[in-house]
Amino acid sequence: MHLAARRLVLFPLLVAALVGGCGTEPAPGAGAGAGRTSATPAATPTTPTAVPSAPAGRTVRLGYAGGEVTGGTQRVPVPLGERVTLVVTGDVVDEVHVHGYDSYLDVTPGADAMITFPADIPGVFEVEMHDSGLLLAQLEVS
Amino acid sequence: MVLAHGIGTRADLPVPSTLAALGAGLAVVISFVVLGTLWRRPRFTGGSAGRPLPTGLRRVFDSPVPRIGLRLVTLVAAGLLVVIGLVGPDSTALNLAPWAFYITFWVGLVPASLLLGPVWRVLNPLRLVHAVLARALRLDPATGRATLPEAVGYWPAAASIAGFAWFELVYPARAEPTDVAVFVIGYAVVHTGAALVFGNRWFERGDGFEVYSSLLGALAPLGRRDDGRLVLRNPFDSLEAIRPAPGLVGVVVVLVGSTAYDGLARTGWWQANVPTGAVNATLALGCAGLLIGVIYLLGTWSLVTPGGRGEGAPGPGAFAHTIVPIAAGYAIAHYFSLLVLDGQQVVILASDPLGTGADLLGTAGRVIDYTVIGTTTIALVQIGAIVAGHVVAAVSAHDRAVRLFPPGVALRTQYPLLAAMVTLSVGAVGLVFAA
Repeated sequence: MHLAARRLVLFPLLVAALVGGCGTEPAPGAGAGAGRTSATPAATPTTPTAVPSAPAGRTVRLGYAGGEVTGGTQRVPVPLGERVTLVVTGDVVDEVHVHGYDSYLDVTPGADAMITFPADIPGVFEVEMHDSGLLLAQLEVS
Repeated sequence: MVLAHGIGTRADLPVPSTLAALGAGLAVVISFVVLGTLWRRPRFTGGSAGRPLPTGLRRVFDSPVPRIGLRLVTLVAAGLLVVIGLVGPDSTALNLAPWAFYITFWVGLVPASLLLGPVWRVLNPLRLVHAVLARALRLDPATGRATLPEAVGYWPAAASIAGFAWFELVYPARAEPTDVAVFVIGYAVVHTGAALVFGNRWFERGDGFEVYSSLLGALAPLGRRDDGRLVLRNPFDSLEAIRPAPGLVGVVVVLVGSTAYDGLARTGWWQANVPTGAVNATLALGCAGLLIGVIYLLGTWSLVTPGGRGEGAPGPGAFAHTIVPIAAGYAIAHYFSLLVLDGQQVVILASDPLGTGADLLGTAGRVIDYTVIGTTTIALVQIGAIVAGHVVAAVSAHDRAVRLFPPGVALRTQYPLLAAMVTLSVGAVGLVFAA
């Protein structure tokens, strides 16, 4: 290989090796954008083998009024395995559907509708109003 | 179901930042490596390459009878899809039609074509419908009534894919069974009609699904040599064999742009900041396509500047085939988990297609098993597909450059094109990172 061409190849490979070798992780929030609610970083990197049955869990409050989602569509980070309680308030009768977990919740005006389930499937799941089609939130289970 | 691509219970988690950084970094490094290991003579022979399959196998694959049989099967399947869409359960969650259409067919076409070649050219049921109708109407199936001008090229296919992308990603009722059935009928009518007018060559140039399958099929080890023989060959040769034609750039731009829009619309940032609505979404889809087009044209800028161009000199279309691996990488990255996880719903719903309480396959009442594949595997596949697509694209582009130009000029054309490819690949990594 021509000397100049060899240098052209080796330099970026060297840089890449240095970067890879250092192994520093860039800030997790980089590139995530303004839409995320501030997250408690997951303390355990591995899936817990037993889902804790402690009543402590995560409560997510969602609401809709006047045809709009209160506070805009949220992206809610949920640690894998945690019990999630969804509390939904709305001004019209509708049905909440949590995709993936296939949970349904009927909402009537004036009362908080609540549902609890273990977040044991990893992924991003939509919480959607069945009739109006509003996207209340996205649960990011990881 | 408001997921951007119309159907599905789940979206992918953001790819972990180290993996994303690695993927983006690899895309850049690989481009330097390709530039640095500049081979001066084209390595791939294109359409004349390949080892013919054994004669017995070739006879089977080439004979028309299996083709007609296979097309009959897909015709029946399409017919069933339409019937189930129209008279089956009203709810998307219970009706097989949207799931089979978007996942088994549209997403499934990708691995089928990447492994087996241009499968839809063999399976396309519209070809059978057209052949029958043409004979009934006393038209020549091959030539029709009018000739399609060469300048039209692949533009009808680009429009066809764009129309499907709009239906899949923007149309508010895109997941409704009835709407899916009507789309399928409409698509069949339009393309069969066009083929009756222009002859069955229309399908090669105008049917978006067939063109998509044919382009992806160039990445498969099976191909058809210039002399018509079915061969086993290096995918790089098959890519090289794709002839530039008007509209090919349009097709690859629409493919990449629509997948990019799908990924972008799923990000947290988009969901929080961009107002919903079909008009906004249509504009955004159009902008995504335009952006990809601009990136590609900037990448092939050196081919259009006055200095380098002579009569009949290659234009941007000469490198359109190099975007095909990138489009394949994008498709795998965005739809792999959908196929593996939500694709199970197709088998579940197929047990009770008309909502009568039947259990034809024994799978009624089951739920999707999300544990068949872990999120780490999904992330690795996503990044791996993007990087692999980038490698193939860069190598293919380099080979075409040295085929068309003397080495010094070839190097010059490579810089902007590789920069464009790096932009597309790093952009793809960004989209799966910001999901």
